[in-house]
Amino acid sequence: MRAIGSSLPRGDAVGKVVGATPYSGDLSMPGMLHAVTLFARRPHARILALDLGEAGRVPGVVCILTAADVPHNRFGLNVPDQPVLCGPGDDEHASRVRFVGDKVAVVVAETVEAAERARALIRVEYEALPVVPNPVAARQTGAPVLHAAHPDNVLLHYRVRKGDTLAGFAQADVVVEGEYSVGGQEHAFLQPEAGLAWLDEEGRVAVACAGQWAHEEQEQIAHALRLPDERVRVIHPAIGGAFGGREDISVQIVLALAAQKTGRPVKMVWTREESIIGHHKRHPMTYRCRTGATRDGRLVAAEVELVSDCGAYASTSTKVLGNATIMAVGPYDIPHVSIDAYTVYTNNVPSGAFRGFGAPQSHFAAESQMNKLAAALGMDPVELRLKNALRDGSLQVTQAPMPAGVSMDHVIEQCAESIGWRRTAQGWQRPAAAQPDSPWLRRGIGFAAAFKNIGFSFGYREHCWATVEIHGGGDIDRVVVRCAGSDVGQGAHLAFQQIAAEALGIEAEKVEIVSADTATTPGSSGSASASRMTFMAGNAIRGAAEKALAMWRDEEDRPVIATYEFNPPATTPMDDMGRSTPNFTYGYVAEAVEAEIDTETGEVRVRRVVCADDVGRAVNPQQVTGQIEGAVVQAQGWATIENFVQRDGLVLTPHLSTYLIPTVRDIPDRVDSIIVEVPDPLGPFGARGMAEMPFIPFAPALTAALHDATGVWFDHLPLTPVRVLETLDEQA
Amino acid sequence: MTHSITITVNGQAYTRQVDARLLLSDFIRHELLLTGTHVGCEHGVCGACTVLFDGEPVRSCLMFAVQADGHAITTVEGLSSDPERLHPLQQAFWEAHGLQCGFCTPGFLMTLVPFLEANPTPSEAEVREAISGNLCRCTGYQHIVDAVLLAATRLNGD
Repeated sequence: MRAIGSSLPRGDAVGKVVGATPYSGDLSMPGMLHAVTLFARRPHARILALDLGEAGRVPGVVCILTAADVPHNRFGLNVPDQPVLCGPGDDEHASRVRFVGDKVAVVVAETVEAAERARALIRVEYEALPVVPNPVAARQTGAPVLHAAHPDNVLLHYRVRKGDTLAGFAQADVVVEGEYSVGGQEHAFLQPEAGLAWLDEEGRVAVACAGQWAHEEQEQIAHALRLPDERVRVIHPAIGGAFGGREDISVQIVLALAAQKTGRPVKMVWTREESIIGHHKRHPMTYRCRTGATRDGRLVAAEVELVSDCGAYASTSTKVLGNATIMAVGPYDIPHVSIDAYTVYTNNVPSGAFRGFGAPQSHFAAESQMNKLAAALGMDPVELRLKNALRDGSLQVTQAPMPAGVSMDHVIEQCAESIGWRRTAQGWQRPAAAQPDSPWLRRGIGFAAAFKNIGFSFGYREHCWATVEIHGGGDIDRVVVRCAGSDVGQGAHLAFQQIAAEALGIEAEKVEIVSADTATTPGSSGSASASRMTFMAGNAIRGAAEKALAMWRDEEDRPVIATYEFNPPATTPMDDMGRSTPNFTYGYVAEAVEAEIDTETGEVRVRRVVCADDVGRAVNPQQVTGQIEGAVVQAQGWATIENFVQRDGLVLTPHLSTYLIPTVRDIPDRVDSIIVEVPDPLGPFGARGMAEMPFIPFAPALTAALHDATGVWFDHLPLTPVRVLETLDEQA
Repeated sequence: MTHSITITVNGQAYTRQVDARLLLSDFIRHELLLTGTHVGCEHGVCGACTVLFDGEPVRSCLMFAVQADGHAITTVEGLSSDPERLHPLQQAFWEAHGLQCGFCTPGFLMTLVPFLEANPTPSEAEVREAISGNLCRCTGYQHIVDAVLLAATRLNGD
């Protein structure tokens, strides 16, 4: 039996169904201390003074960490612009708090209760500063400057100029204009942030936590503590969901500092409220778009201005902006394109990585434009897409050709046919939704498509290490794969296991995965993000396995051990015209949504979703289907009920009772996953990354369905009932 | 103010001196070190901390330990901790991919055990209703529903 392509059940599931698998909040050690964080809970203020006197006298308190205790008080995944702890003093940057989740102190005590009591007694004197509530306010003359290096509060501006848009629009018979806005999104992984730090048997500071990229966390901890990387060890036990929300540092640095300072194990568990104010969100963005086409449906020009709310610190905003930029006109070949993209500091919770990483926002605008253009041309939306879809060799907006293996037309056709689109002599034709008897309920069917990079972009260092050990005599008895990549719940380790088994021609049960520990793996795997883990780790494991197998055949020593570093083709940053080779490969997806709208209550119900996702090669079809269904429902949440509200920098939805995520009662009646397998020439056994793709086209497919149902365009997310009713009224 | 309480957890009686305000979820996790019961929201929304209280599902984060004095609690560890002899629901969640990160899983299982006892042949709609108070962020729920229907079939000996 081949290991790849079979739906093996997950080995980690047994421990999880019996409750034996420890997540980071379940860990404990003898002599362990407990830590709690004092968050600023104000969006913009200067800390004038900090009085720990009374707090420090609470029985059981061991130490209180403040800014003065942090050797290098800066961190950040791409730009180290965030203080580990904010506090008064000579460091102007760290003396200011810039969002509600900035941290001021960490109390370490014998019990949680003592730590909490002491935290309540810390006296902080703040000077309130004017709040920058959104990017519009941030860019006004005289707005408070949030980071001295960016006096206009613009962290980054990307500018793309391809062809000549003036000439392009002159060729257009039809031009569609649109303005769109999308909201932030809270990851709401079910396990709030938690960690345990201690000094291990080799004197390293060890941190067990839920993260996405152990080696990057190691580096950031080492940077803040001014330690060599190898003096820090990061371990990821079972991780309770991530979706990008654990890509930034949460508890790791302060826990390492506390363990170093006290010499004892220290544990910290964030509450749900601390989790929601403490970690980054999906970027809220606004778009202004113009798209032009000839009468026969050929796209000739597009112009986009987009602005993303970076929040208080950079996090991954520059990278998300890059993605949003190159996807701002959707998965189409357009000769003349002009894009200006900005990410702007505000006093909101920082924005950062979240499944799709800029792609959902830009595709909402781009695909809404396509649906409007189809309507304006009197052309079927599938027909219009197929006429313009990216193909092998098409020039991207960055003027580099698409990497080989483009399957945009495949996924569009397969998705359309599955939900009932018909090919006729006049081209593709949309099916009509069956209407219910109640006249206030209207149904419609909508369509959208998307592409998304796999792996890191724009010249960011991209590589992955793996080691394969083969044990046995004449036959292979057992194989150990060492690869740091985190299983954040998505099943990455089962994919590792199946790929190793396939490469070695053995049963998957013989493969053991050692991972998520910087001390026992050969090097970085990169992040469990960017739909890259199966692709990158798969290639590294395959490379190591093939090397080990050759040694197994040629040498007599047992076991054989081989290490391999996979390096994909290089990418490059954008220049001042946006020229670059942004990515080495992409995933392709199309989605059709049948939805029902209650025109009296504004409620939107999703009846059916068909998602055709080109995964290259399904390593484990059951796991792939699980990713599709999970992504669709998460996207439905973003598009409809998930409403992350910030007002003047304050979070008004800091609990799961105020920030609502979909329950089973909200989900589609049916999600049909169509697994398309057009091999990626660079993928391990042809596999592409896939976990973000099904999220991306959902929102514009839904609003297209609502337009089909009502004749009204919905250009602003989320589609809360109030907003739906207001939009219906405005356009009635 | 502390109280002496005796709670039977997974068939074993435990007597402890506890603070009046100690949550049942914290008692289970911190006093008894049964960490299979997870805490996801601390106020009864997510259902991850669901345990059986005299056979009925309750949110252990919304109860005090003292309220369980003299009562019987079953946690996920009490279903089966033997991988060779899993409860049919545990087995079905494993086989039918009813979990990804698994953090919400114990709460789903403890919600479903009494449900399937009361309704051994549920429809898909009834399963959806039964789990409508439990949040999962990974699966999109469909594989959970499939797992429950599979477990029901097995429990009925089909």
